[in-house]
Formats: sequence, structure tokens, C-alpha cells
Amino acid sequence: MADFLSAYSIQNWLESCPQAYLEGTEYGHQPGENEPEDLLANEVLREDAIRTTVQLVVGEKCALAASSGLINAAPDEGSKCFLATQTLDEARHVEVFTQRLIDLGVKKKDLDETIRRHANPNLVRFAEVLLEKVDKKDFVAGVVGQNIVLEGMAFSVFEMLKAVTDAVNPKFAHTLAGTIADERRHVGFGENRIGSLIKQHPERKPEIEQMQKDMSYHMLATFAASFRNNPAREQIEQVKEGMRESGVNAEYHGANLSELSPEEMEGVLSDTVLEEFKVRLGRIGIDYQTPARP
Amino acid sequence: MAVRDDVHELTGEQFHEQVHSFEFWFHSVEGYLSGLEYGHREGAAEPDLDDAERDRLISVLCNYCVGETAALDGASGLVAIAPNRHAKIFLSTQVVDEGRHLEVLLHRMSELGVADPEQEIAARACPSLLQFKDRLLELVAERDWEAAILAQNVILEALEFAVFHHHAKTADAITAEVLNGIVKDERRHIGFGENELGRRLRDAPNEHRRLREVKDELDHLVLDALEDTARSLGVGDIERHALGRMYIGSVQRLGLDR
Amino acid sequence: MNDPLEAPVDEAAAAQQRQRYELADDTGFDEVPKKYRKFYRRWQGDGDSLAPNEVICPVCKVVIRSTRELRPGDRVYCMPCMSRLVVVRNGQGMLEATVSY
Repeated sequence: MADFLSAYSIQNWLESCPQAYLEGTEYGHQPGENEPEDLLANEVLREDAIRTTVQLVVGEKCALAASSGLINAAPDEGSKCFLATQTLDEARHVEVFTQRLIDLGVKKKDLDETIRRHANPNLVRFAEVLLEKVDKKDFVAGVVGQNIVLEGMAFSVFEMLKAVTDAVNPKFAHTLAGTIADERRHVGFGENRIGSLIKQHPERKPEIEQMQKDMSYHMLATFAASFRNNPAREQIEQVKEGMRESGVNAEYHGANLSELSPEEMEGVLSDTVLEEFKVRLGRIGIDYQTPARP
Repeated sequence: MAVRDDVHELTGEQFHEQVHSFEFWFHSVEGYLSGLEYGHREGAAEPDLDDAERDRLISVLCNYCVGETAALDGASGLVAIAPNRHAKIFLSTQVVDEGRHLEVLLHRMSELGVADPEQEIAARACPSLLQFKDRLLELVAERDWEAAILAQNVILEALEFAVFHHHAKTADAITAEVLNGIVKDERRHIGFGENELGRRLRDAPNEHRRLREVKDELDHLVLDALEDTARSLGVGDIERHALGRMYIGSVQRLGLDR
Repeated sequence: MNDPLEAPVDEAAAAQQRQRYELADDTGFDEVPKKYRKFYRRWQGDGDSLAPNEVICPVCKVVIRSTRELRPGDRVYCMPCMSRLVVVRNGQGMLEATVSY
């Protein structure tokens, strides 16, 4: 255990994160990078970007509450230290995505109200299911919910957003690249640390599987609300058309996102995340539960 | 944010946004942690300690670990009850600071030949410090923000700051470097605690009496722990009094000494 | 250790225009981001004294430096411990900083 956890030490984190891929960045991107002019000038697209970013802030706030809340429940010093780094990673994500809201024109005094107005209720419910476990100091369920389900979802969402924005918004793509690098550690810890605990506590499996099923449903409902009936649908189609004309291949898991309808994009994202859940949960000995489709 | 020619010309709001951010923490620790491994430069020669000196140092480090674990558990619990985003983000930086302190102290014990540091801590922990930790975590669990900040960021941090600072002057070179790095982090924590509590007490002066009671309850626990550590470090009476001065100063400025 | 608060205050200076100071970039203080380091230094103990543009933070004991000579009522910030401070003249006629919550 000690050897495995040494890979998740704060020393390693310092060398691989603040002193490596974040070095020289400001709020996660290169100094001087800005949101694209045409995004800021188009009210519908700007509103859509704000709406999307709010969901990221809500998800990261949940991750911050969960990772900090689990430190007290961690059974060993190594896990506590890793969760300390994850707490700060999540706080950084809250900060950089909140800063993006400001960059998109949200006034500081309106931040809380903007987040309240746009937060998807399904995502809020997703967070509540997880935080109920954290509040009970349930380390095993909390880490599965946080580091496999929540982080697995975030990992795939960030990758998709990065694929879409790489060519059209380097500033946001750079911010996402740093968060993806962080999430890699988090999902890695989830799998590696929890596998042995599940073996020690097989009686916990049914309850954890139910949690995964519930969280997965709320996640799918969040995706559905984001992709279907999007008020910015027409403008997003125009952006995608421009990407196609420029020969941009926004590749994500074998699909060129600029050629997909919103419903197809939702399908690719949902299938990718659920497949990831299945594989990761299988590795730690949890039977994946298929959620209802909203 | 653009840097003005004189930092002292920032508005109060700009100042707080700066110092309670990940960005500030990130660029601050870069100055004194880069190039270090587990809190000290690689390849530094181990001191030549006799058995008694080594044993005393291990006892002291074990109790530092208890204090840092209390601070880690306390700070992480405080994230959930922090009243705003800036406080949450600041406390997250404190969480990783406390985690780092625990890690470098455990690593220092390994370097001194302790095979199972966690077992050693359980065997050598000062009972008063363990009681303090339990009480701190109770305050956090009760979501008592003011009392928990007083216990953690004013009382515990001020005493750690003073003890580590003092110990670093007489410790072997490796332990001294580790402790000096910790002291640099603690400066942020004590400042956050005093300023946060100061603002709260300014806006709710009737809280003074309640917090004085919390302070009175915790005082003897931390002072017992301080006595214990001072004895292991061979600190004399006059220096022992000096160790408490920083804490007393904070308490006086907050008006909690009367 | 010398008491930093015993550093003499030039009364005549109060009536004059404030002196400006060019702050050296590297004071050896490494606890805040690079761009702010020149505004702080460590108290060196015996033999150290405060210049007219310096004051000690009562919370964390770091020396705070300004680009101008300090006078009562000035606001200064201690970034290492995140305190907002106001410069006052104490009972002995010396300048010191008090925390402004």
C-alpha cells in the first residue's frame, strides 16, 4: 500500500502539476489568451458558453465538497494526502471556470445568481446523491461516486469540449487540457485505492451499485437537457459549418463532432461515459448497473 | 489582474481576491518549494545523532504529525462550511499545505530510520493534543465556523508557527529546512484565521463571549501539548514563555483575552 | 533583538513632501509571487532597523515595504499573511501597523 500511494504523494503532485503543466499559466491558460471576439460578440453563443461553464462550476463545486469531505473519512495518511491534492485541484477548477464566467462578461456581483439560474437541476441532484455518502463519512462509496463516477464523467465531458474548442477557442482548450491532466490522477486513484477496499468489503457492493445507477441517470438527464432543445442550436450549427469549411476535424472517439447533430453528440458522449464506467467499475469488482434513459 | 506599481494601492477587494486564490498560492509556494524533495534539498547529509537525541526528535516529530493531521482533517472539514467561494479556495490551499506538512514529517521520520511512522505516532502522541484534535473536529462537525477557525487557524496554527520557528533554530540542517518550509505556509494560515475572525467579531461583537469560552476550554490542552514538546526540545522557561507570545498577541488583537 | 518600533521617526519629515523609494527587486523574500516580492523582507534581528518606508506586520512579523515614506493613516497590505493594515503612531511616537479587520 505504501509503495502504491507514494505515486499519489504531494511531492509527486508538486513536481507534476504546479511545477510542470501549470507552470507559466494564468487561470489555467497561457497569459494573454482571451475568449474569441466572435463568441463575445454573439449574444446567443455567449449565453450558451455561460450556460455550459456554469455546469462545469457546479460539477467542480461538488467535487471540491466531496474530496475535502472524504479526507476525514480516509483510512490512512497516504489517502489523506492524495485527497488533499485533489481538494486543491478541484478548488483550482472552480476558480478557473468561475474566471471564465467573468471573461465571458458575467459581473462579479452576478456570479452566484448566474450559477443559480443556469445550474441544471439534474446535475444538482447528481451532486446530492454523492454528497449524501460523503456526509455519512462513507469512504468506499464516496470515492467510487467521486473518483470513478463524477471524475469519469468530467474526464469525458472535458475531452469532448476540448475536441470542439481546440481549433476555435485555444484559451478554453488550454484551460481544459490542465483539468484533464488533473482528472487523470483522480480516476487513477479511485480505481487503484478502491479495488482493494471493495475486496475487503464485498457486502458494500449492492449499495454502491445503486448509487452508480442513480448518479448515471441524473448525468444522462443533464446531458439530455444540454444537447436537446438548446436555444443556441442554430448558431452552434453555423460554427460547426465554419469548422467543416475550414477542414477542422474535431475528433472525439472516432467521430468528427463538427459533422454530428446535437442528438448524435449526446449519444456519443453518453455511450462513451457509460462504457468507461462499465470498464472501470469492472476492474474494481463492481457490477455496472444500466441506468434508465431520460 | 494588472499589477499596480505599488501593491499597497490595491483596493481591499482586489487584495482579498488576490490572496485567497489558487493563483496566489501557486506562485507563492513556487518560490520556496521548487527544487526541494520532501521539504529539503536532495543529498543533504544526515546529522550524527546519538540514540537519545534521535529518540527525542522522533517523539517531537510524532507530535508534529498529530498536529498536522488535526489541521488537515480540520481544514478539509472547513471547506464545506466556508461562507464564500474565496474562503473555500483559500482553505483548499491550506488543505494541501497541511497534507504536505504531514507528508514531509512522515518522510523525515523514515529518513531517521522509523520503519512504521504511523504506529510510532500512535505510541508517542501527546494525549492533550489528541483531545484538542477531537474537540476541533467536533466544532467542524457542528458547523461552528467561528469557533473552528479560532481553534484551527488561530490557536493551533499560531502555536505550530512559534514552535517550528523556534525548533528550526536548533535542529539539524535537514529537519530545520523542512520546518522552515512549513513555517512559510503557516504564515498564510495564521493570517487568514486572524483576519477572518477579526471581521466576524467586528460585525458580531456579541460573539466575543462565546469564543472566549471556546478559547478558555482549549487553552489548557494546547498549553499542555506545548509543555510536552518544549520538554522534549529542552526549551528553558524564558523561551517557553516567548513561544506563547505570538498566540497571545493574536488573542489580544481579537479582544479574546479579557 | 532590537525593537523595530524604536526606530527614530524624523518629525521634520512629516511636514515635507514624501520621499519616494526605489525597491530592490530581490530582497531574498520568497514567500509571495515574484511580482510582489520587493514589497517584503525578513526582519534580520539584532542590528536591523526599519527605514521610513517600512513597517512590521504585527501578525506574522514580516517587514512590509512601500515605494513611499509611510505616515499615520496609510494603508498597507501584508501579502504573506494576507492582512490589511493601517499605519499608526504609537504612544512612543513610533510608527507601527495595526490590523484592520
